[in-house]
Amino acid sequence: MIEVQGLTKKYGDRLAVDNISFSVKRGEILGFLGQNGAGKSTTMKILTCFMPATAGTASVAGFDVFENPYEVKKRIGYLPETPPIYLELLVTEYLEFVANLRRIPRSEKKKKMDAVIERCQLGDVRNRLIGNLSKGYKQRVGLAQALIHDPEVLILDEPTVGLDPKQVSEARGLIKSMRSERTVIYSTHILSEVAATCDRIIIINQGKIVAQEAINSMGATGATTKTELVVQRSSEDLAQSLRSVKGVRSVQLISNGKERVIVETDPTEDVMAQIAKVAVDKNAGLIQMSPVQLALEDYYLNLISGKRGISI
Amino acid sequence: MRGATAIIKKELRSYFCSPIAYVVLGVFLFVMGVIFAKFVDLYQRFNTAQQFGQAQGITLDKLATYLYQNMAFILCFVTPFLTMRLFSEEKRQNTLELLFTAPMRELEIVLGKFFSAYCLMLIMLALSGLYVFFMVLWGNPQIKIIGATYLGLALALACYVSLGALISAMTSSQAIAAVWTFIALLFLWLLQSLGQGITASWGPIQWGPTLVYISPLGHFNSFTEGLIHVKDVVYFISFTLFTMFLTHQVVESNRWR
Repeated sequence: MIEVQGLTKKYGDRLAVDNISFSVKRGEILGFLGQNGAGKSTTMKILTCFMPATAGTASVAGFDVFENPYEVKKRIGYLPETPPIYLELLVTEYLEFVANLRRIPRSEKKKKMDAVIERCQLGDVRNRLIGNLSKGYKQRVGLAQALIHDPEVLILDEPTVGLDPKQVSEARGLIKSMRSERTVIYSTHILSEVAATCDRIIIINQGKIVAQEAINSMGATGATTKTELVVQRSSEDLAQSLRSVKGVRSVQLISNGKERVIVETDPTEDVMAQIAKVAVDKNAGLIQMSPVQLALEDYYLNLISGKRGISI
Repeated sequence: MRGATAIIKKELRSYFCSPIAYVVLGVFLFVMGVIFAKFVDLYQRFNTAQQFGQAQGITLDKLATYLYQNMAFILCFVTPFLTMRLFSEEKRQNTLELLFTAPMRELEIVLGKFFSAYCLMLIMLALSGLYVFFMVLWGNPQIKIIGATYLGLALALACYVSLGALISAMTSSQAIAAVWTFIALLFLWLLQSLGQGITASWGPIQWGPTLVYISPLGHFNSFTEGLIHVKDVVYFISFTLFTMFLTHQVVESNRWR
């Protein structure tokens, strides 16, 4: 649905996006993760034809964003970082304006407006001035604007910033509800959000893609569990015995002041019990045994700090 | 062009949702009212004078010329208040992204913006038709001359608005847009008197007449005399089109930066 090849964007001398390539399949929800200024918004602005790229190509639904922006724009719903709303208009007036811009036929306008008001839960405020709405509602009006023409592709730039926790979960629910129906690219710097809503994530740092993986392969949902053992005496012998336990995938010895053993296992309680038993039998002097939560957070921080792989 | 009409509708709504349209219309009509009262007073005095055989040759139309020249000048003050927000407000509110990512060309944005402010200006002009009504009621002006004057005003307003839109596209501050639009319009007016005193030339170009030609004042004055010259019409239209072309370039350049 979306193909990006070697996309580069320079602002003067500053390289904002550096030769990135990725693709998004139809119906997929892609999380775009990165620090502020990593190049997320720039990439999105290029995809929405707001801004031309310095080099590289991008296409949406088979149409090139540089050669055929009109067709691309028709298929995209875009919520920029700051919702593009007119404070002096009523919610309905604003949505009608967007519907006109989007060339929604007169006969369908009313229906589509009602549908989007319903979907974004704007019913209570439909006849209020946008300028008087709370931030959460403004954000929802922005989202409604992106959805009004039933776009195939939805590009959302930090849609949950500034929302209260309840609204955040509502917004996530809304995005999730579009799974398989639309293709969604959605940027954020909140990690738990990505884990909760996306199928796949792209982590971008200083304009480069540093990781591109499906959510479950990152251990965020826990296909394997890591357990940390703190012992008094670790030895290769202990490691060997641990490796022979059924369900153990890898064993790693670390000794920096404290002797530690990291055991990666299948996530079952039986294995844990076995590991504890081995450690005791080997007389390693087991002091502590605790699960290591390899959160997305660690993964992410390791990646953007330039370290590849996972260290604990 | 559905995008352009959508923008015109929205802009007119914005004008009348905020106090700006009412304040500008109100102030314009008040100032014009004062000038019109002065004009009526003048007319009465000339009428009296003519009864005693003085001030021959002064007609209502001649006096109306002063009225409309004043009006053209006052519109220079009024225009910036209506054009200042056209693009700068979009930039400030980050709504340009909405317009640029909607399926329409930049030209539609420029046209929509221009015609929204221009429509409002024409509404203002139409309201000043009240003075014509009074003139017809209590005098007998030549309707054709007044018609030509209004045509001149409408053309001059197109120039004003296009210039205001251009300046608004260059800044994200309404205040700066208003001030510069006013300075630019005033400068254009002053070129007339400035040019008259200059005799220098550069090759075949006579600076004096060139400056006078650039100023809209001279072109407008022939309309007030009831003369519709093609060259004046061409001047106003080409001025407007050229400024709109520049606006288009500036608006488009926003996305490259």
